Amino acid sequence: MGKVVITGAGVINSIGHNVGEFTEALRLGKSGVHTLRTIPTDNASVKIGAEIKDFSYIDYLDKLQRLCKDLYTRSRKILNNSNLSTQISSCAAIQAYLDADLINSNLDNDSIGIIVAGNNISQKYIIDNYKKYLKEPEYINPKYAISFLDTNIIGAISETLKIRGIGYTVGGASASGNLGIYNAYQLVKTGAVKACMCVGALADFSELEMKALSILGAMSCHRFNDHPEKASRPFDKNHEGFVFGQGSGCVILESLGSALNRNALIKGEIISVAAGLDGNHLANPCAEGEAKVMRSVLQDAGIMPKDVDYINAHGTSSPLGDVTELRAMRNVFQDSMASIHVNSTKSMIGHCVYSAGVIELITTLIQMNEGFCHPNINLDDPIDSYVNFTGKEALAEVKINYAISNSFGFGGINSSILVKRY
Amino acid sequence: MTKEDIFNIIKMNILKVLIDIDVNQIDINQSLKDLGANSIDRVEIAQDSMEDLNLVLPRVELGHARNIRDLVDIFHKHINR
Repeated sequence: MGKVVITGAGVINSIGHNVGEFTEALRLGKSGVHTLRTIPTDNASVKIGAEIKDFSYIDYLDKLQRLCKDLYTRSRKILNNSNLSTQISSCAAIQAYLDADLINSNLDNDSIGIIVAGNNISQKYIIDNYKKYLKEPEYINPKYAISFLDTNIIGAISETLKIRGIGYTVGGASASGNLGIYNAYQLVKTGAVKACMCVGALADFSELEMKALSILGAMSCHRFNDHPEKASRPFDKNHEGFVFGQGSGCVILESLGSALNRNALIKGEIISVAAGLDGNHLANPCAEGEAKVMRSVLQDAGIMPKDVDYINAHGTSSPLGDVTELRAMRNVFQDSMASIHVNSTKSMIGHCVYSAGVIELITTLIQMNEGFCHPNINLDDPIDSYVNFTGKEALAEVKINYAISNSFGFGGINSSILVKRY
Repeated sequence: MTKEDIFNIIKMNILKVLIDIDVNQIDINQSLKDLGANSIDRVEIAQDSMEDLNLVLPRVELGHARNIRDLVDIFHKHINR
């Protein structure tokens, strides 16, 4: 069983509509958090979020016309009158597919798979249709019967890109992205497919989820409504909960053999992935469970804690979550903590929920290949002054050889990925 | 509401659902299937038109329409009841 590498990436979020824009925004420490515009906030205490701004899937697809007329025509029809997550997630997938140059490869369509990471993806779409149903049941769009399903994204991408390998959705709450990558990694490693897209679905939260999460006390909704860009502050003493982020990311995992065979540009290597449960159905995190998955990825790879150069933290800006994750890191890395750069991308793009793991893997690869660490933009007063957090400006000339990316989800779901520069 | 008005509403919904169609090429004697609409498209077009016309009709009535002209006639009959 051979090595698994990453050959393509695509991303659309609140600070970048593609990998290039996202890279520059990371370097500059741009915040995508604003007052919410697309989710009703009348009954809500949560007024802010990192929404995607000024992105039209129709305009994006229009640009494909010159490249591939077929792809343009097909995708326009499939995404027409579909839901937000299907539209945006499909665009991220197309970006990654083109980035991997799969369009010019002669890889058999049966040997490419798709994993969509996320469950309960299109909540706002469902609730908006329910409101319509209450007004007049006969006007419910027949397409709803297909498009309310999470798997609608699988169907859309597989038809758009003519992919016929293995495909299914993988759910793990906030750890969905990493668990999707875990599955894609296994499919490629075992030879079930030669390449596998892992699409982190855009979480289409409605006012119902936002309200419930704010009642739970999980979201920032008190101190920063007038300065939304300051609200997502992982590991800072004034953290008060996570900020919702809209975004979709897609990575293409491929066997090293297949990548070399077609001269694909390799962006990094996935060395190991670990997943585990706490035996807890609630939202509270557990340091032992988080430490266990970080330790697992190191042990599976046979590398020492001191060999890790960088950690992309789960870092949600939740008081309990941030403290617990640092405790878990200290447990695993101990004295090596001083030499490991730590940051949280959520400080800029909020918590992208299902796609967080995928977007944060892409962030890790960008930093690895470009040689910098993005800032922790709101880290004014760290809760732990001995952790080697990147400051409020990007750190240049950083050499990252081994990196870890963490994602932890409600229901005691823990995951960690170990990546190596290729 | 004239039959011409109804035809225009249906044409707008055909464009909304079939996107790349030339709205000026739509012939009232064509069927939606002729224009390339699959079964879901056909229900969508009929339903969106009913919504625009503030009509709620049993689906079995629409099953009798062989082409766009029939659809216009069915809608016209119910609006003017």
